[in-house]
Amino acid sequence: MALPSVPLVDDDVEVERRELHASEVPWITIVWNDPVNLMSYVSWVFRRHFGMDARTAEKRMMQVHTEGRAVVAEGNREAMERHVEAMHEYGLWATLDRARR
Amino acid sequence: MRGFVPVGDEFEALLEPEEARVLASLAAQLSALLGEAADDVELSQADPAVARLLPDAYRDDEEAAAEWRRLSRRALAERKGAFAARFAADLADAAAASETTRIRIDEAGALDWMRSIGDLRLVLAERMGLTEEDDDEFDGFDELDDEDAADAADAERAGLVDLYQWLAWMQDDLVQVLDDAAGTAP
Repeated sequence: MALPSVPLVDDDVEVERRELHASEVPWITIVWNDPVNLMSYVSWVFRRHFGMDARTAEKRMMQVHTEGRAVVAEGNREAMERHVEAMHEYGLWATLDRARR
Repeated sequence: MRGFVPVGDEFEALLEPEEARVLASLAAQLSALLGEAADDVELSQADPAVARLLPDAYRDDEEAAAEWRRLSRRALAERKGAFAARFAADLADAAAASETTRIRIDEAGALDWMRSIGDLRLVLAERMGLTEEDDDEFDGFDELDDEDAADAADAERAGLVDLYQWLAWMQDDLVQVLDDAAGTAP
């Protein structure tokens, strides 16, 4: 009887210990305050692009305004890059970063 | 100009020839600036307005920021240039007219207008050296205006401030009109 060519037990361990794939590491989209964009416009962009309800959009906008920044989305890196690009199309200043745990 | 009114799925406004000419000229300049910026990455270092129009996507990771610039900056500049070019095209007839012109834009057109108006305000703010924020944007500018009025040489700057505030009014008007049309007003 031949031994299995692949040690099955080690294989399982490998799966358990594997590192997170890059697409699974959470990233965030941050919108930064600027002295130019209107509050009504920023809040409208949040409603339109992220589908936030009026209350959430207003809250995030005020957070940008008073705290200098707000996290507006969380997810994989590619999705956050798309959000950042969309924010730049709207003239908002946005960046993405790794989510801090 | 007294703002947009909804007409069916579209939006209409009356524009005076002088207003249309000012807007069309600004839109054309913005489109040209973005066209130039698309071809020239260095322009972001040379011109802070370009840096603000096309910001880096990463703040604390220069390597990722450089990769982003390599892959995405040009296409973003081209898309923003296209918004401004369509905004300019919408204004062409009214700018060439000798009397008040009724212009009509659809929702996609309104988006081009809002984005271009926002971009123009970013550029004007850089040109005016505006970096500080007041608690109330409009009061802040009234104050700025008064200070500048004391200096006759700053008449041009006062003109820019007027323009900047007029564009703010127009963008805010479009936000309201689109919100009303969508029934999503807060």
